[in-house]
Amino acid sequence: MELADDYLRGMTMTAFRLLLLSLLLAATSVSAQDREPTYAIGVDGLACPFCAYGIEKQLHKLDGVDSVETDIRLGLIIVQMRHGRTLERTQVEEAIEKAGFSLRSFETAEKKAAP
Amino acid sequence: MLRWLKRIALVLGLLLGSITFIVWFLWIPSAQEPTYIFYEAWGEAGSNPGQFRDPTGIAVTADEVFVSDARNSRIQVFDHHGRFKHQITGRGLPAAELGRPMNLDIHRGELYVADYWNDRIQVYALDGTHRRNIGTNGSKPGQFNSPGGVAIDAQGELYVADFYNQRVQHLSAEGQFIEQWGITGAVGFGSGEFNYPTDVAIGLDGHIIVGDGYNDRIQVFDSAGSFVNKWGGPLAMNIFGPFPGWFATVTSVAVGPQGNIFVADFYNNRVQKFSAQGRFLTSFGSSGTGPGQFSYIMAVAVAPDGTVFATDLGNNRVLSFRPAAEHN
Repeated sequence: MELADDYLRGMTMTAFRLLLLSLLLAATSVSAQDREPTYAIGVDGLACPFCAYGIEKQLHKLDGVDSVETDIRLGLIIVQMRHGRTLERTQVEEAIEKAGFSLRSFETAEKKAAP
Repeated sequence: MLRWLKRIALVLGLLLGSITFIVWFLWIPSAQEPTYIFYEAWGEAGSNPGQFRDPTGIAVTADEVFVSDARNSRIQVFDHHGRFKHQITGRGLPAAELGRPMNLDIHRGELYVADYWNDRIQVYALDGTHRRNIGTNGSKPGQFNSPGGVAIDAQGELYVADFYNQRVQHLSAEGQFIEQWGITGAVGFGSGEFNYPTDVAIGLDGHIIVGDGYNDRIQVFDSAGSFVNKWGGPLAMNIFGPFPGWFATVTSVAVGPQGNIFVADFYNNRVQKFSAQGRFLTSFGSSGTGPGQFSYIMAVAVAPDGTVFATDLGNNRVLSFRPAAEHN
């Protein structure tokens, strides 16, 4: 919606973001098996705090979410779950849409860590 | 055939030239005042005193600067040169706790905080003592869905930029609903409609000045509630750009001691200054990490002596500027 595509406001660094996202996930996955489930969520056009905090606010409302950290410049949100709790893509999609954005990517660190 | 093509090219060229001239003449004004000079900066990333994790709001008195430190869920208080004095967190008292503080206002010795996460306006004495809260979560009159900014008029009445509700609410000093501008929950581009309003300020003439964030414009209303004026790019119709008088997301508005209007122009990394009637006067700031530069300017406030303070989101710091000449 409007917030997301208002312009190229977020600068089109998609390729760069994806590279960093992969590196981050790879790094996270090394220790992921000993930690609570963690998800990396990519959102386009995410640059101003009004937007970022709106998404974080919606994600915090989801059952089982422990912490949410956003890297505004990368358009990347890391969600840490409480022990034994997981997150579904549809839940995340809905939360992101409520905040006025569209989900670009949704990845689990644990999946990457699995052999 | 070639002659016709040449004629068509000539006509198109003239047309394009005329349009460029008209746009330039009508919507790209020249500066009317000297720019401001960078004066000081303080802050870095972190959670200790004097450090920030997203400075998102600012308000000043004659001798103090109050800064919303959003991810640290606190307000830090400094003197005008960045010396840390104390902080306000409200921790330990749920009614007083800060979530994500955004734009601020100070009125008669009280600090008003738009708390984006707690969906309320939190009011503190300037020493940090919690006084009261106004509003709850929701979309009914008097409720908020992520308030981004607040301003208090001479009568103590509140004007709140209710971000996700796409409206500006006018409330009594006690928080009773009086009126609103905008259609609840509906983005709009016409006069009196909003596309994620971010902040409000009160002019010396009592006018209500609204930062219409993603419409890339300022809207002004009189104290009776009537629409007065709007500006920002051609026809103030959500056309963003880097030119003088244009915006690329308005995140904060403030009024100087002479009644001029200062706007935090987020993606353009600058403060723009306008007369109370919306005439472009000057701008200052650029993109970067050096003196006088921003990695996304977020909030602006003006001290009684005309010094302009602004928060630099990406560099986690506060910058101050002073007029190059005696204009404030």
